[in-house]
Amino acid sequence: MSHPLSGFGAISGVGATAQGKLPGSTALSLAVEAFKRALDDSGLRKAQIDGLLTFSGQTAAEGQQNYLRLGETLGIDPRWTGTMYMGGATAGALVQQAVLAIQAGMATHVACVYGDAAATGGGVFNRSQGWGDPSSIWGYMSAAANSAMTAARHMALYGTTSLQLAEIAVACRYHASLNPDAVMRKPITIEEHQASRWIVEPLHLLDCCLVSDGGACIIVSSAERARDLKQPSVLLSGFGQGYTMETLGNPDWWYAPHQKRAVDDAYAMAGVGPRDIDVAQLYDNFTPSVLLWLEHGGFCKPGEAGAFVEGGRIRLGGELPVNTAGGNLSESFLEGWLHIVEGVRQMRGQCGPRQVKEAETCLVTGRGMALNCANALVLQKG
Amino acid sequence: MSDYIKPLPTLNDENRPFWDSCRAGKLSVQQCSGCGHLRYPISPFCPRCLSADFAWTSVSGRGTVFSYIVFHQAYHPGFKGELPYNVALVQLDEGPRMYSNIVGTPNDQVRIGDAVEVVFERATDEVTIPKFRLRAAD
Repeated sequence: MSHPLSGFGAISGVGATAQGKLPGSTALSLAVEAFKRALDDSGLRKAQIDGLLTFSGQTAAEGQQNYLRLGETLGIDPRWTGTMYMGGATAGALVQQAVLAIQAGMATHVACVYGDAAATGGGVFNRSQGWGDPSSIWGYMSAAANSAMTAARHMALYGTTSLQLAEIAVACRYHASLNPDAVMRKPITIEEHQASRWIVEPLHLLDCCLVSDGGACIIVSSAERARDLKQPSVLLSGFGQGYTMETLGNPDWWYAPHQKRAVDDAYAMAGVGPRDIDVAQLYDNFTPSVLLWLEHGGFCKPGEAGAFVEGGRIRLGGELPVNTAGGNLSESFLEGWLHIVEGVRQMRGQCGPRQVKEAETCLVTGRGMALNCANALVLQKG
Repeated sequence: MSDYIKPLPTLNDENRPFWDSCRAGKLSVQQCSGCGHLRYPISPFCPRCLSADFAWTSVSGRGTVFSYIVFHQAYHPGFKGELPYNVALVQLDEGPRMYSNIVGTPNDQVRIGDAVEVVFERATDEVTIPKFRLRAAD
């Protein structure tokens, strides 16, 4: 018995703005531009968009009222709307919420929209986390800190090395070199990764994502309606979410075990397994995140991802091409929104020199709020 | 006036017993009066049984290094003069985990799994900060 939601929804349009340092742009202007591009991509008219889901990001001044601001600016009076804040897990969660709303008859075409001027508009990534006494008392601050803790423990338990993390950074940069829209396109070597300065040891500078201005929009429709639109169908065959809310309280938090639950649910809904995945867009705020996703995605056993990424296995032409547009590390840090955009384009066969040949199934993962929030999508060629 | 320039806790009714205990040279955590669960960070409710009743109880201050990182970049001006500095995630013998710093050992000689014990460093008249040093394994 196939799952009733499997393949019910489809991504009917995607749009992304220019990325990088875009002086003069605002969260609002980038969101609007992305929406226009996605609308044009889908062939839908604005009046057909009756769902609006948004992420307020770092620099949208209206914060949780972002959906109001965007609705007013875009001139949309939706039947279904809201703003969600889950950092890099937001995009995937919004897409899933869109499918649920459409399946329930609460909306027909849902635009998920995000714009942020994090690079030039004052994005802040140095905070300490948690409630009450701040961990900054001990200097535990920044987005890099959690991933560094993960990497250090993975290294201690499994012998994972910085050279293996370098393989991830190098592969992402190689893919970005094939992507005209990527921010960082000059290929790097393992040696350059090793020579880049420490940020939070064991993470070098080249283990860290970029900070970018940019916008993206993903339009979700029923597969039935998407079939009649402009683009080749990309089905949402499976999806899942998982969370670990206790951070210090859960001894396994560093390993983000909820990511496995998210992927397993997505696989089960889609009726696929890791061997069916032709290409993967794995959330990469820092390189260790990719290690965990490879293990939680079942591509290798726990502790083996360091060895897995060696020898070009995650590069184009390898067994499992990962982050074919360059990812957060090299394409642009857009909180994982571009991972979904790239997954859709791979399933449509629109990726030019970085297209994975005959790719029919793509895993896209997102994670946010340090390690706490995660989700997975299985996209398939319609 | 204090010349301490790094972040400090904002003392309030919820966290004052923890910091008072540190000032007295004891590491204390909350123990749920409903189910006995020891918890940290400080919370008004037990995450296991949701009881709001608890008592502060001192723990041994002994544990192990669960994970360990070294900052080469300061995200707060107060740490600029200490670069590179370490942060450890310490697994206390009694169960809870906490972030802290390992003192008394060069950064590159601390290993995950090392046995540690709490020490207290006075920051201001009001605040004494728990840190850890390596100890001989049990």
